[in-house]
Amino acid sequence: MTDLSPRHPLEASGDRAAVRRQMGRRRKAVIGAFVLLLLIAGGAATIAGLRNATLFFRNADEAIAERVELGDRRFRLQGRVVPASVAVDGGVTTFEVIHNCASVAVRHSVDPPDLFESPWIPVVLEGRWVPGEVVTVAGRDTHFFSSDNMLVKHTNEYAAANADRIGDPDEPPEGFLDDCPFEVPRL
Amino acid sequence: MIETPEPDLREQAQRAGSLSMTGSVATRVLGVVAIAAVGVMALLALWISPADAVQGDAVRLMYVHVPSIWVAYGGFVLTAFASARVLWRTRSGVGGTYGVIADRQARRWDRVAGAAAELGVLFTALTLVTGSLWGKVTWGTYWQWDARLTTTVLLFVTYLGYLALRRLPAESRARARRSAVMALIAVVNLPIVHYSVDWWRTLHQEASLNLEPGGDRNITGEMYWTLLYSWATFTVVALWIGIHRYRVLRLEELAEEASLEELLAQRRDEQAAGR
Repeated sequence: MTDLSPRHPLEASGDRAAVRRQMGRRRKAVIGAFVLLLLIAGGAATIAGLRNATLFFRNADEAIAERVELGDRRFRLQGRVVPASVAVDGGVTTFEVIHNCASVAVRHSVDPPDLFESPWIPVVLEGRWVPGEVVTVAGRDTHFFSSDNMLVKHTNEYAAANADRIGDPDEPPEGFLDDCPFEVPRL
Repeated sequence: MIETPEPDLREQAQRAGSLSMTGSVATRVLGVVAIAAVGVMALLALWISPADAVQGDAVRLMYVHVPSIWVAYGGFVLTAFASARVLWRTRSGVGGTYGVIADRQARRWDRVAGAAAELGVLFTALTLVTGSLWGKVTWGTYWQWDARLTTTVLLFVTYLGYLALRRLPAESRARARRSAVMALIAVVNLPIVHYSVDWWRTLHQEASLNLEPGGDRNITGEMYWTLLYSWATFTVVALWIGIHRYRVLRLEELAEEASLEELLAQRRDEQAAGR
């Protein structure tokens, strides 16, 4: 009969059980290391993600409604930039963002991304409420939003740059200000 | 239904010309079509389609980014389907002549699952890279842990794990079953990735193409058709690579079998010489 048993350094000792034990241990270690790595990677991604993903931003109207609870805590604020409100003064960009007819005055301390210049672009700002008298298109307010990080939240709409436009590019998106009890000045 | 056994793999490979070849007339034709399609796609995406009104030329990244994830989705769905077939073909109680046939079919589906998952991982990586570049230009950041980006990177890591699991040494039937179970668990993340933009607030925009009949179309004219054409091109390219990968996996199995045969022969020779 031909001997077809597997070869292994331990084989010389004739201890088949030891060979099996060693192979088993090695395999278990590899599987264990792999599962551990997978768990660490998956867990890290999930934790990092869940922390931010569930409430990635508050819309302007929600941020105003939750002002007391938010206090001076950092959060993300979302709204569309009012083109006529943008002003730059010594590295600080001031403007207003609107969502659901609520307007928030913003003081942004870092250079905004290029797309910020597009009229009525939705942006997500990171920062906190700071007490201070301000006047917005919606009236007087007791706080402004101090921001040090801006993300442009572009929409899922795509249109050719050179297409014939109907109306004014400064015009807000259709229906955006329809229910608002205030007028928004144009550029 | 009468099932015909698959011809011997070695015979198949020898008929194809060589044990190191994965090409055939069909794949060569497919390859030429794929390369030509990519050429036309480049023309459409870079020159013929217009710049976007808001994003300018950055929108051209969409023609790689969006089709990449569609192809990746397709790859992962195919992996799940093939894995279900593997589990079905290797279920306990399958034995005898039918068992041999079932085993061959299980091995075939296992190769399909492996090749499709590799494509999925490759195109998810492409999605992440192009998305990150697109994000820098439009959002102003390469990365944010929003729901879409987080679930996508989780998808990528999970299937990397799946591919690693396939490489762990084990008896082929056990390995195939173990991988198949993981593929069926991993695919649960797919609808979560896709609908994350609807279920949670994300920096990532919502789906641009509404595939429901009568749904709104958010992309105009040439941009829309360029996107559809790019998707078709990516599908052809993926198919081409996928067939080759399937054949490489088959050749790997053949090589393994051949080396085992060689070892056995060597052992028999030694035994004979020792007598």
